Amino acid sequence: MWKGFIGKLSGKAPKSVGGGGGGWGSPPSKSPTSYGANGGQWDPMRSSPPLPVVAGAEGDTREDVFLRKVTVCCVLFDFSTDRVGRDSPERERKRQVLMSLVDCVGAAEEPLTEAMVSACVGMFAINLFRVFPPKVRPGAGGAAEADEDDPFFDPSWYHLQVVYELLLRFVMSPVVDVKVARKYVDNSFISRLLDLLDSDDPRERDCLKTVLHRIYGKFMGNRPFIRKAVSNIIYRFVSEDDHHNGIAELLEVFGSVISGFAKPLKEEHKLFLCKALIPLHKPKAVGMYLPQLTYCITQFIDKEPKLSGTVIRGLLKYWPVTNSQKEMMFLGELEEVLELTEMPEFQKCMVPLFRRVAHCLNSSHFQVAERALYLWNNEHVFNLISRNHQVILPIIYPALERNARLHWNQSVLNVTMNVRKMFFDMDQKLLLACQKKFQEEEEKQAESEERRRLIWEHLERNAAFHQVTGDISFSVVTKSAPLVAPTMT
Amino acid sequence: MATVDEPLYPIAVLIDELKNEDIQLRLNSIRRLSTIARALGEERTRKELIPFLSENNDDEDEVLLAMAEELGVFIPYVGGVEHAHVLLPPLETLSTVEETCVRDKAVESLCRIGAQMKENDIVDFFIPVVKRLASGEWFTARVSSCGLFHIAYPSATDPLKTELRTIYGQLCQDDMPMVRRAAASNLGKFAATIEQSHLKTEIMSIFDDLTQDDQDSVRLLAVEGCAALGKLLEPQDCVAHILPVIVNFSQDKSWRVRYMVANQLYELCEAVGPEPTRADLVPAYVRLLRDNEAEVRIAAAGKVTKFCRILSPQLAIQHILPCVKELSSDSSQHVRSALASVIMGMAPVLGKDATIEQLLPIFLSLLKDEFPDVRLNIISKLDQVNQVIGIDLLSQSLLPAIVELAEDRHWRVRLAIIEYIPLLASQLGVGFFDDKLGALCMQWLEDKVYSIREAAANNLKRLAEEFGPEWAMQHIIPQVLEKINNPHYLYRMTILQAISFLAPVMGAEITCQKLLPVVINSSKDRVPNIKFNVAKVLQSLVPILDQSVVEKTVKPCLVELSEDPDVDVRYYANQALQACDQIMMSS
Repeated sequence: MWKGFIGKLSGKAPKSVGGGGGGWGSPPSKSPTSYGANGGQWDPMRSSPPLPVVAGAEGDTREDVFLRKVTVCCVLFDFSTDRVGRDSPERERKRQVLMSLVDCVGAAEEPLTEAMVSACVGMFAINLFRVFPPKVRPGAGGAAEADEDDPFFDPSWYHLQVVYELLLRFVMSPVVDVKVARKYVDNSFISRLLDLLDSDDPRERDCLKTVLHRIYGKFMGNRPFIRKAVSNIIYRFVSEDDHHNGIAELLEVFGSVISGFAKPLKEEHKLFLCKALIPLHKPKAVGMYLPQLTYCITQFIDKEPKLSGTVIRGLLKYWPVTNSQKEMMFLGELEEVLELTEMPEFQKCMVPLFRRVAHCLNSSHFQVAERALYLWNNEHVFNLISRNHQVILPIIYPALERNARLHWNQSVLNVTMNVRKMFFDMDQKLLLACQKKFQEEEEKQAESEERRRLIWEHLERNAAFHQVTGDISFSVVTKSAPLVAPTMT
Repeated sequence: MATVDEPLYPIAVLIDELKNEDIQLRLNSIRRLSTIARALGEERTRKELIPFLSENNDDEDEVLLAMAEELGVFIPYVGGVEHAHVLLPPLETLSTVEETCVRDKAVESLCRIGAQMKENDIVDFFIPVVKRLASGEWFTARVSSCGLFHIAYPSATDPLKTELRTIYGQLCQDDMPMVRRAAASNLGKFAATIEQSHLKTEIMSIFDDLTQDDQDSVRLLAVEGCAALGKLLEPQDCVAHILPVIVNFSQDKSWRVRYMVANQLYELCEAVGPEPTRADLVPAYVRLLRDNEAEVRIAAAGKVTKFCRILSPQLAIQHILPCVKELSSDSSQHVRSALASVIMGMAPVLGKDATIEQLLPIFLSLLKDEFPDVRLNIISKLDQVNQVIGIDLLSQSLLPAIVELAEDRHWRVRLAIIEYIPLLASQLGVGFFDDKLGALCMQWLEDKVYSIREAAANNLKRLAEEFGPEWAMQHIIPQVLEKINNPHYLYRMTILQAISFLAPVMGAEITCQKLLPVVINSSKDRVPNIKFNVAKVLQSLVPILDQSVVEKTVKPCLVELSEDPDVDVRYYANQALQACDQIMMSS
């Protein structure tokens, strides 16, 4: 997507922008920062001040010309309404000036001066940092509801696109000296860029992703801050408000950040895995970013295989209870993680893991059951299981048996029988033992339920003897002796 | 039969249950913690059960949530208030877990317990918990601590109070925005417990910092605290400290901040007094009513009545009313709807003349709004206007509006108007009702949507209650009973339902003479669904009817139904017969 529009841009960029082609609109006297605040934006049609010449005058330095162009680009236009001036020449000019700046930064051989860098960053801030409008409420008609998932396209993209292009060139360009730029591309600038990732416009998020990636690469000094800020975004998303548009993009950037982590992993990075990435499995929108999340997580395990146990326990903690779609995604991720899991780690978590898998096998959603059964098709997973079948078979046998008897779906039934057969071939004796135990327990089930009921009834009756104190301290006489004498025989 | 042949150890039972694989069983046992505690007795609860719970908190969040909730009401089981502190350690641990729901519940329970603890126990046990959480390594502990200060502070000694204020100040500047947000949103509660002198200095400086936080989300929560803080301060301090902040926020570039301001501006008016209200808050509010962003206008419009109640009528008429007029034709339906839901309340504020002259045209135009919610909102608050100007001025426009809503193509709209029919009936009186609305009420019984038919049946009952059985005998019963011959069984079912609703209101005699025969007759229906509904209705009629009637009429009919070929009919008939017997026995 990004490359696509760069191509488009350079094709369109006018050749002779700096060549004194006449007047460029300069901003009116009103300070640019006040635009976009509550209400009125500058309407180019209403107040058109005389347009000074931006470039071409004798004696102007390169810096002067550049700064004047940047100033032009600090004027904001209101794209939100279809008011007059939709295709105003000023608007068109701003885009052209922006494109000339893109060329300028791209082609520059001398480093940009500090004034140029500062002006550029200021211009980025003015153009990019804005408050997103509220989500459109669905109207009374049913039509609006259907469009709910459609992406929103920012009408001011016409300018934003080129600003982002310039920002990217700026960040990548060798003529921008990191030492100078760092003063302006500071933590607060980066933090506001990160805020923009919540944009509804997928094009904008895509640009931001690339920009952030480059910033992380170039501005080494800001890396710890970026990692912290991203963690904060994730914490908030997980524990507070459950809505953020840009998690997938953030994770995509972090996928490559993580793959660059040095081995052995620092404690800070492991904390990021445990406290930020793993909890990201909880939100209901996990489907929006799961592939990126899984990638990040497998990168971690790649670096340090011991982490797979942590990840598996995390998955079990957030395992969905009612959402079958999510459950299938979890099974998918589980398989990927298991692929990378080594025997010692596997053995540490296989008991709770296969209790969960047993649940999935019995799911009445046939795709969930099927997906769980397919774990046996994976060579590595099969190997892990077969070498621990003494532990695993007793856990999942009841699930297999129940499927074999009751599952409504033919294909689940067939695959269940295959898995059973695999275990049979592995260890016939154990399978038969499990079968026997299952039958015994089944017979005893009603009995044990009855027993549970009796125990509680018993407790209840016993509890009724004891007075509960409000203020009077009433201490129970019995200390060590069993509280309840058996009454049932 | 199962046997319990070994002695019962309550803790062992709990441990056993908590080990179970089935989360439902674990949940059940936590839900019955109080039983275990009572069986153990107070001392062993303190010495064995609570420590056990403190150590066993790595279960699933759902179980932890239940535990956090149970512990909040556990004081009686540990031996009363003087032992309440033993409950703090498990809750302290639960306040640090990752899941927000669990933490919130643990904090709630801690507050509940702390509120009952004696002053010196607070100093000895509760405040140390707060301090430990506030210096917790992970942000979850620090977030939880923010919600405990208002409980701890009043009982603290002076040096401790100073310390607590300092700690809170640090939490407001915490490195993590999560903590700052928690501190910001709890600031109002905490401030309410603090002495005036400190309020003006320390708390206001904390507040100022929060309002300038570089995270939008933190500032937003600080705005939420504005009104709460404003009410705590003396009016002149409020004018000096809060007013400039809120006026500034009302022009913030973030619409969310302006939205917050719009929501609570009226609360500040009381705090600052009339003069600053007129000079600063009214202009700010007017700006919000005309905000560019519809969301902000929705919030502002929704508060228009509350705001006007605080102002003098002249100010309201002069400044607010012109905006209200504009809003009544706002381009956003949600703005108009928000306005319509409160505007009727302005009538008592403005008085009769101003209402007739200024508000009535707005009511009428909103009653003709193209968006049904707007019309419904007006109708729902009719009583407020009725008190001021009487209904006559409105009734002419009202009828077409009601009829149109009654036939709206969205069933939710129809449902909403049915809900208001009893209100309308009481306001409009019997005469108007008989002429215009009676037919509608009958028409709804044959709506295509079940919920509407059900609501229509219920509506008849409420009307009968409003106008009395005699009126109902004339205007409802005959029309309803006539419909029992409808060819469609679903409509016949609605009538049965209406009968069961109406019977208690109409009393034994009418039920026996008019309603019962219709029900009995329906037991011969060809559709099984009708037949088992007859059984259900008969069951509901038994308490109303005379015993002799039950014996002579109801029971034979049920017996017959209990031999029906359809299994469901037999089932419900038997249920009803059992109920009959029970009622007979008890009487």
